[in-house]
Amino acid sequence: MIAAQRAPSVHSPGKTLYPYYNARGWELVHRTRAFRQYWKTATMSATAYVGDSPWFPLDYLLRLVRVAVLLSIWRLILTGQGEVSGMTLGSVLTYTLVSEAFAEVLACRTELGFALWDGSITGFFLQPMALVGQAAARTFGRWGFAFGAFSIPLLLLSPLLAVNPLPASPGAAGFFVVSLALSVTIGLAQEFIFLSLIVALDQSPWGIEALRGALTTVLSGALIPLALLPWGIGGVFAWLPYASMASAPLRIYTGTGEALPLIPLQVFWAVALWLVARWLWNANRERLAGYGG
Amino acid sequence: MEGNRVVATICAIWRQWRLFAWLDFTWITRNLSFFLTYFISDVTRGLSTVAATFLLAERFDGIGPWTTPQILFMLGYATLVRGTEDVFFGYNVAVISRRIGRGQLDHTLVQPRPIWVTLLTEGFTPFSGSTVLLPGVGLLVWAASRLSLPVSPGWLALALVNFAASCAIVLAFSFLWGSLAFWAQRAAEEISSSAMNVMQQLTPFPLDGLGAGWLGGMLTIVPAGFVAWYPCRALLGIDPSPYAVGVTPLAAIAITLLTIGVFQKGMKHYGRVGSQRYLSFGHRR
Repeated sequence: MIAAQRAPSVHSPGKTLYPYYNARGWELVHRTRAFRQYWKTATMSATAYVGDSPWFPLDYLLRLVRVAVLLSIWRLILTGQGEVSGMTLGSVLTYTLVSEAFAEVLACRTELGFALWDGSITGFFLQPMALVGQAAARTFGRWGFAFGAFSIPLLLLSPLLAVNPLPASPGAAGFFVVSLALSVTIGLAQEFIFLSLIVALDQSPWGIEALRGALTTVLSGALIPLALLPWGIGGVFAWLPYASMASAPLRIYTGTGEALPLIPLQVFWAVALWLVARWLWNANRERLAGYGG
Repeated sequence: MEGNRVVATICAIWRQWRLFAWLDFTWITRNLSFFLTYFISDVTRGLSTVAATFLLAERFDGIGPWTTPQILFMLGYATLVRGTEDVFFGYNVAVISRRIGRGQLDHTLVQPRPIWVTLLTEGFTPFSGSTVLLPGVGLLVWAASRLSLPVSPGWLALALVNFAASCAIVLAFSFLWGSLAFWAQRAAEEISSSAMNVMQQLTPFPLDGLGAGWLGGMLTIVPAGFVAWYPCRALLGIDPSPYAVGVTPLAAIAITLLTIGVFQKGMKHYGRVGSQRYLSFGHRR
């Protein structure tokens, strides 16, 4: 719409010598340019990974050891138990492996919180791109690097860990992709909600991030499948937005949850949280200047 | 003469602890909203790291050879180790690579006292650091009330020695990796936090189901097994060997000696090249 309004003012109205110059053409150019901007941002973020955090192999080593420890614990607990709360040992092992492979996507953290803290968020506002798009592009770039450097090797090495990395069915794989996209949408909305809270409460991101990380660890189902929690609390947690971020796609992948109730619930949380995020962000955006950096 | 020096050093450490305790108290209580956010988020963070293992133990009535109260004891022990590190080695003392990498070691070197005294006292944060320590004490007391522990002076002494050894292993591991920052100040600035992260994340799990290779790695390359799992196995009698209670202290001595050697070598290098990378943000708002 913006591109269509802009086109006549830049180029002579009524002259359509080339399709490039009409409104639809401008929209196409605008979108292509925007895509290029986001793509370049993502690429820069991915390539900066090695320079910015050269000890990333240590973090990957930690993740590898952690997944090995978690797999050993599940084997210790579930071997010989058959099906527990609708989950077999095999499905729990796949759940754990895929959860680690997609850990960064399921946790969904951008750089915005700490950019706010050290003041580098100013750079975001100076770029000729939308804030959400920029944050998402940078995050996707980091994920891309980590996916290539850790997740794919982990999935390829899974036979050595005696885990089947494949989804429950081709349909489950398709729904997993949809569910993962919704999970990222919910995660980004939460990111802006917590960012707004940091500004509104005038707090450092460390405390709010710690609180958020703590809640996510238990409530999202990324570490332990919610069905395996005691006292039936998993049934309650499954309705919360945290579960829509991690538990839902992982359950769909492993065939321990149906796409039909899980994906509509994710859509609901995505819409609801983005409305809240938009409202909170608009209400607190002016305070960014006072927050400093 | 030698005795006087020891007494003087102990008095100096005590005075410094009192001073830093007061500074920490004024820092944490400067603002009610800040205090509440800090306290709630830190307690939640501390408990969440052990919550997963506890919930699993509760659901399945233990994990492998561990009963639920024994798991609770191990989680309390792990939380207490982490809390002790937070209380005594805050302000990036435990994350030493940050101080070295940012050129802030000079702050320590200009103090009119030995480096070890400065490092032992400068990070003392009994108020802001107690957010993990107190839940750890609570978990241990709760677990002890559900276990019939063979508490005797001898057992308590062994528990204290093992606990001190676990704390030493965590700190030594961080300093060992952090020493890399002497040679690569920019690149290794955050390596101690990665090392601490490894220890904290792997500590609350029982490692009994791991294969020999993985387990060997968890007791040597990444000695997270000595932070809670191994000493608790020994103290609770899950490992019946009479020598088990001595393994963690021996491991602590080995890793501490190795760390002292590497750190001193790094200090010599630092003495020659110094730092051209001074960053002033060694504080928290």
